[in-house]
Amino acid sequence: MFQHLFKLLWNKRKQNFLFLAEILVSFLVTFAVLSFITYYYQNYRKPQGFDYRRVWAINYNSGGLSKDVDSIAVFYANLHKALRSMPEIEEVSNSSSNFPYSNSIMSTGLTHNGKKVNHVYNYNVGEGYDKVWNLTLVEGRWFQPQDAVGKQRNIIVNETLKKAIFGNGSATGELIGDYEDKEKMKIIGVVRDVKANGDFHPAGNAMISLQDTGLLKSTSNILIKVRGSADARFESELYKFMTNAVKNAVEIQHVDEMRVSKNKETIIPMIIFIIISVFLIINVALGLFGVLWYNINNRRGEIGLRRAIGGTGSSVSYQLVLETLILATMSLIVGCFFAVQFPLLDVFNIPTSAYIIAMALSVIFIYLLVFTCSLYPAKQASGIHPAVALREE
Amino acid sequence: MLKNYLKIAFAVLKRRKFFTFISLFGISFTLTILMVATAFMDKVLSPDYPDFKRERSLYVATMEYKNLKEGWMNRSDVSYYFLDHYVSKLKNLERMAISSYVKSSNAYVNNKKIVIEYKYTNADFWKVLEYEFLEGKPFGQREIDNAEKVAVISEETRKAYFGDDKAVTGKYISADNINYRVVGVVENVSKTLHYICGDMYLPYTVSKDDYNRADLMGSYNAILLAKSKEDVPKLKKEYDQMMTKVPIPGDFDRVYSNADPFFVNVTRRIAGDGSDNGVNESFTVISVFTLLFLLLPTINLVNINITRILERSSEIGVRKAFGASSKTLVYQFIVENLILTLLGGMIGLFFSQMAIYLINSSNVVSNMHLAMNFSVLLYSFIACVFFGLISGVYPAWKMSKLNVVGALKSQ
Repeated sequence: MFQHLFKLLWNKRKQNFLFLAEILVSFLVTFAVLSFITYYYQNYRKPQGFDYRRVWAINYNSGGLSKDVDSIAVFYANLHKALRSMPEIEEVSNSSSNFPYSNSIMSTGLTHNGKKVNHVYNYNVGEGYDKVWNLTLVEGRWFQPQDAVGKQRNIIVNETLKKAIFGNGSATGELIGDYEDKEKMKIIGVVRDVKANGDFHPAGNAMISLQDTGLLKSTSNILIKVRGSADARFESELYKFMTNAVKNAVEIQHVDEMRVSKNKETIIPMIIFIIISVFLIINVALGLFGVLWYNINNRRGEIGLRRAIGGTGSSVSYQLVLETLILATMSLIVGCFFAVQFPLLDVFNIPTSAYIIAMALSVIFIYLLVFTCSLYPAKQASGIHPAVALREE
Repeated sequence: MLKNYLKIAFAVLKRRKFFTFISLFGISFTLTILMVATAFMDKVLSPDYPDFKRERSLYVATMEYKNLKEGWMNRSDVSYYFLDHYVSKLKNLERMAISSYVKSSNAYVNNKKIVIEYKYTNADFWKVLEYEFLEGKPFGQREIDNAEKVAVISEETRKAYFGDDKAVTGKYISADNINYRVVGVVENVSKTLHYICGDMYLPYTVSKDDYNRADLMGSYNAILLAKSKEDVPKLKKEYDQMMTKVPIPGDFDRVYSNADPFFVNVTRRIAGDGSDNGVNESFTVISVFTLLFLLLPTINLVNINITRILERSSEIGVRKAFGASSKTLVYQFIVENLILTLLGGMIGLFFSQMAIYLINSSNVVSNMHLAMNFSVLLYSFIACVFFGLISGVYPAWKMSKLNVVGALKSQ
């Protein structure tokens, strides 16, 4: 049956060329949309790795502070003491400007055994950083004050970076080189992945190092974890306190609001893309419906003949639907050939599993679409009375 | 003859209402999306409040250091020192508007937090750009020389900070614990003009940054005003020549900075860098995307059109038997298709008005008001005609090749 139908359709392929082209382009559009949705969904399902609630970021201009290493160390020690003494504040930590959900990116490269790893997000933080975010360590330990002094730099890497370099082995105690393999740093711990770029993007490679006193003069961000009792009145008092302390512009941001903005950057383009694709597909569905209906109407003579010889109504509709599905298959094979290039060429850094799932879902969707569009015309065809159809000659 | 074609076209459309509906749905939806996209691009690219002197302006936004051997690059906004020391000395320059990029600060009014985005400007900023003052006036060179703590605020800030008070000139607004005296209130600027948009404008001498530090990179951008439109190429050439004499900092071997017309400034930021203005890439990407987007509706429309032609094969056969040439038939069919497309275009216009209204009221980009002005309508009309032509040519050609005898026989 299949072979017979396939031969018939292959003979008529020129006639059906436009139909095939339409299915091909619809498949590619569906594949593109579903790839992104699958990728974002996969990332969304991964755990956050940190607690962003009740964290405030104090960003300030450090231009007016002392440049002397010792006096600035004293300044920050006093500042932290004053902040911690406020009843509404639970934890305090300095941070580099690229904390989670900020729009700042600092990245570097690392070398291990001659192999370079690029795009490693580089965080330079104060001691209390893990308590502010509730970071979890899967190996090793967090920083201690003595890690800031001493000749060798100690760093903490995240799970993704550990897997990239060491596979399933342990990373604690290993030495790793910086971008030019000049300075060797020791890994003292591995932290659980943090989705710092928003809920829909992977954590990427990350390394954390402890701020030493030399870097204090360029610090311009302090992160605090506040208790539930912190409200707008407390915020304005904190603001006055900070502007008096740094004698410069201060901005206080709520990290949960920053997370909403960051997620919007992904969601809004995605929604626009989806709306446009849905309308395109509706367009295609209506077009297919009309064309199929017209084509089937043209074959009244052939259908009438089949019924006169003894074919049942349902076998006629079955055949028509099957024909349309086979046409769709011819198109989908070409479509899959194009789609499979994406994971093979590793475009857009999206994992292969997302592409495969998207391809499978798109194929199923196109089959459903074509099946639904051909159902009504096929049913109409099965109602053709042989006597009436044959008489129309 | 055209009137006959019109009559035939409407008769055909009325005959198969379902096909007509499908075609109109597809066309109007495609054209709605194209029109909204055109309105958006028009808003971003054409002169908009308060930047009306775009014809004779060049925009300076970035400073880039490159080390070609190692592949390093450092890119940032330009510094005040660079603009003051090098750019202000250009002979073809009439005036220069300098402003910093916005920084955020907080103000706390009635236990409510307001985010204020402030920027520092020079005195000529107000002469180059045509802000509309609802109250007061801008600060001038005297206030800048004295580093007076004065501010011009936007209407939105006035409402958020002072409530419904309409006479706030002379009052004080407190940001970073400093009290600035309000000297003027301006109408809101759309955020699409991100290089000059702000909630509060301050004299640059009030800035606590050392704006005189001898560094080429900073946080400022400039609009260079030439004396006339014809002087713009001269100004650009002089700027490029000046850049060859700028000292290159230690680790790098090239310095890039460009004074571009507005559109090139946008493409350079999105798709180019110091040495490549990104115009070609942007055009290519936009054209490819538009064509891909149009591909599906076009194929659909071509499919439907061919179906409808095959239906009318007997009519065509009769006309050919009576002596109509292929050319006449092709012409007739394309006219019919254009009528259908223009009809779809009008429906699309209605829908795009609704879509624009929704976008404006949802305030996705703050203070951006899209509008259907004449140029948008013109581009939309061209898009309609283009769309009608490409979806009509192939079916028309097929129709004209129909065999007369075969067409007349298959009754």
